[in-house]
Amino acid sequence: MRFWGMFRFTVLETVRKGTLIFYFGIATLTLLLLAFGITRSPNDPELITMFGIPFGGKAMGNLGLVEFLLYMLHHQSVQFILLLGIFGVSGLIPDMLEKGTIDLFLSKPLTRMELLLSRSLGATAGIGLNLFYFFIGVWAVFGLKLGVWHWAFLSSFIYVFFAFACFYSVVTVVGLITRSTGFTILISFCFLFISWGLDAREHGLYLLWNNIVYHRLLDALYYLTPQLNAMLENSSRVIIKTALFPGMLDFTIMPFLCSLGSAVLMYALSIWYFSRQDF
Amino acid sequence: MYTMNALQTENLSKQYRSGAFKKYNIPALDKVSLEVGEGEIFGLLGPNGAGKTTFIKIMLSIVHATSGKAEIFGQSIKIRSVRELCGYLPENHRYPQFLHGLDTLLFFGRLNGLSESELRPRAQTLLETVGLVQWAKVKTKKYSKGMLQRLGLAQALMNNPKLLFLDEPTDGVDPVGRKEIRDLLIGLKSQGTTIFLNSHLLSEVELISDRVAILNKGKVIRTGTVAEITSQKLSYTIQLSSHLPLALEERFKSSLPAFSYTDNRLDISLNDKTDLNPVIDALRTAGIGIDGMTQQKASLEDYFIKLVQGENNK
Ligand SMILES: Nc1ncnc2c1ncn2[C@@H]1O[C@H](COP(=O)(O)OP(=O)(O)OP(=O)(O)O)[C@@H](O)[C@H]1O
Ligand SMILES: [Mg+2]
Repeated sequence: MRFWGMFRFTVLETVRKGTLIFYFGIATLTLLLLAFGITRSPNDPELITMFGIPFGGKAMGNLGLVEFLLYMLHHQSVQFILLLGIFGVSGLIPDMLEKGTIDLFLSKPLTRMELLLSRSLGATAGIGLNLFYFFIGVWAVFGLKLGVWHWAFLSSFIYVFFAFACFYSVVTVVGLITRSTGFTILISFCFLFISWGLDAREHGLYLLWNNIVYHRLLDALYYLTPQLNAMLENSSRVIIKTALFPGMLDFTIMPFLCSLGSAVLMYALSIWYFSRQDF
Repeated sequence: MYTMNALQTENLSKQYRSGAFKKYNIPALDKVSLEVGEGEIFGLLGPNGAGKTTFIKIMLSIVHATSGKAEIFGQSIKIRSVRELCGYLPENHRYPQFLHGLDTLLFFGRLNGLSESELRPRAQTLLETVGLVQWAKVKTKKYSKGMLQRLGLAQALMNNPKLLFLDEPTDGVDPVGRKEIRDLLIGLKSQGTTIFLNSHLLSEVELISDRVAILNKGKVIRTGTVAEITSQKLSYTIQLSSHLPLALEERFKSSLPAFSYTDNRLDISLNDKTDLNPVIDALRTAGIGIDGMTQQKASLEDYFIKLVQGENNK
C-alpha cells in the first residue's frame, strides 16, 4: 500500500509534470510524420518510399524490406529516445531529496529502501509507458500502411525497456550522490558514451595504454555497470531473423543478464548510501 | 502505576559532519535526555541553531543520532512501524506542485498506509478542521504561506497520530489562525494525543504547554512546567524617592540573583518572596523612601532571554 502509493505518485508525477506529456507530443508527431512519410509505390508493390527515399529490390522480398526498414529505424533512434527519456526523469531522485520534501517522505512509515525503490521503479514505469506508446505506434503505422504486423519489432520494446530500467539504476546512484538534476543529466549523458566506449574497448580504450591493469580495470567497469550499448544493439537485433551482412552477431541474452546483475548492485549501493544519509 | 512515556531519550547526541571528506564536526545535540508523558503538550524552546529541529528529525529517523538512545511509546525509533504512531509538520515543507490540496492529503495518507476507503472521509474532515474546504481543489502552488501551514498540519494528522511533532506550527499564520491552531491542539490533547512542539513564540508555548524544556547549543538547560520555570524567580520594581547610596548598591548586587538600578528605579529578582523584606528593611534603614512597588512575574520570554544570555556569557 505505502509502496504502491509512492510508486503511483511517481508515475503520475512523470505524466503530470509535463515532461511526459511533452514526450507523448513528440512521439505522436513522429508517428504522424512516419504515417505520412511511408508509402508503398502503387505501380511497384515491392518499392517502399520513406520520406521520399525509395527502398526496394527483389532480393529482399516484401517482409525482408519492411524488416530492414524497421531495423534501421530502431537502430538509428533508440539511443536518442533513451536520452530523451533520461532528460525527462533524471530529476525525480534529486527532487525527492529536496529540503522540505524528503522530511515529509521520511517521516512516513516507509523504510528508506521502500521509498527509494518505489521512486526509481515509478520513474522507470513512467518512461516505460511512453516507450510503449511509441513502439505500439510505429508498429501500427507499419501494419496499417504496409500491411506487415511485425511482432518481433513490438517485442523489442521489452528489451529496450529493460535496458532503460538498468540504466535508471545508474541515474539513481548519481542522483542520490549529487542531489542535482543538472549533474545527473550530465553524468547520465556521459554514461551513454562510456558504455559505448567500454563495449568497444578492444578497438579503442585498450589501445590508449597497453597496460594489463588498465585493461582489467576497463573490463571490471564494463561488467559492473549496465552494458547499455550491448543491450541496445541486441534489442535491435531481435527484429531481424537473419544477419543483414556477413559477420553480424546473433542476438544474445548475456548483456541483459549481466546488466540485471549490475543494476541490482547499483540499487544495493544506492540503498546503502541513502540509508546512511542525514536530511 | 507504571505509565509509558510517549517519548523518551537518554544521552542523545548528534554531530553533523560536513565539508569535503566530512572533516568538520558540527555539534548539534549534546547528551539530551528528555521524557514526555502520554497526553502531554511539551514545548521545546531554544534560540536559532539550538538543535530543536535536529531533535525532532532524530526521533523520526530523518537524521541518525551519533550516540544515545531514543524510544517512542517504549519502542526503539529504529523500528519502521514506530512512525505509524507519529505525525510530523516540518519547519520547511514543500508539497508536490501539480497536486491540489485534497490530492496532497490523499497521497500522504497512502504513504501512511491508510486504506482507500478511510482516506477520503479523513481528508475531508481535516480540510474542514483546518479551514481549507474551499481550497481543496486548488493546486498547492497557489496557496499562501499560512494556507500551506494549515495543509501541513492536516497532512500531519492524516493517520490520527498518537504523537504529533510540530516544528514551528504557527509560522506564517495570522493571529486568528494561530488561535484556531491553538484550539485545535488543545482539542487533540483532550482526545489523548501527545504533542511535541518546537517554537520561538514563547507567549504561545506558554499558553498551551504543560511542560517545556529549554535547549541551548544542543544542551538542555532547564525542564519543568511553565509555572515552575517562570515562578522560580520573582521580580519587583521599586521606585525610590531618593538616590541609592553606592554601598547599598554594591550590597544588593552581590546578594541578589538579579539587580539593576537607573533613575531611582530599582529592578530586582528574588529566589523567594520572603527575601523581599530584608531589601525593604535595608532601604528604610538607609533612610530612603519608597514611592511605589510592583511585582513582575517573569514571562517565559523574559526568563528565556535571561537564561540563554546567562548561559552564553559563561
Ligand atoms: N544537515 C545539516 N548538516 C550540517 N549541519 C546541520 C544540519 N542541520 C542542522 N545543522 C546544524 O545543527 C545545528 C542545530 O540546527 P537545528 O536546525 O537543529 O536548530 P534549531 O534549533 O531548529 O534552529 P531554528 O530555531 O533556527 O530552527 C546548527 O548549528 C546547524 O547549523
Ligand atoms: Mg528549527
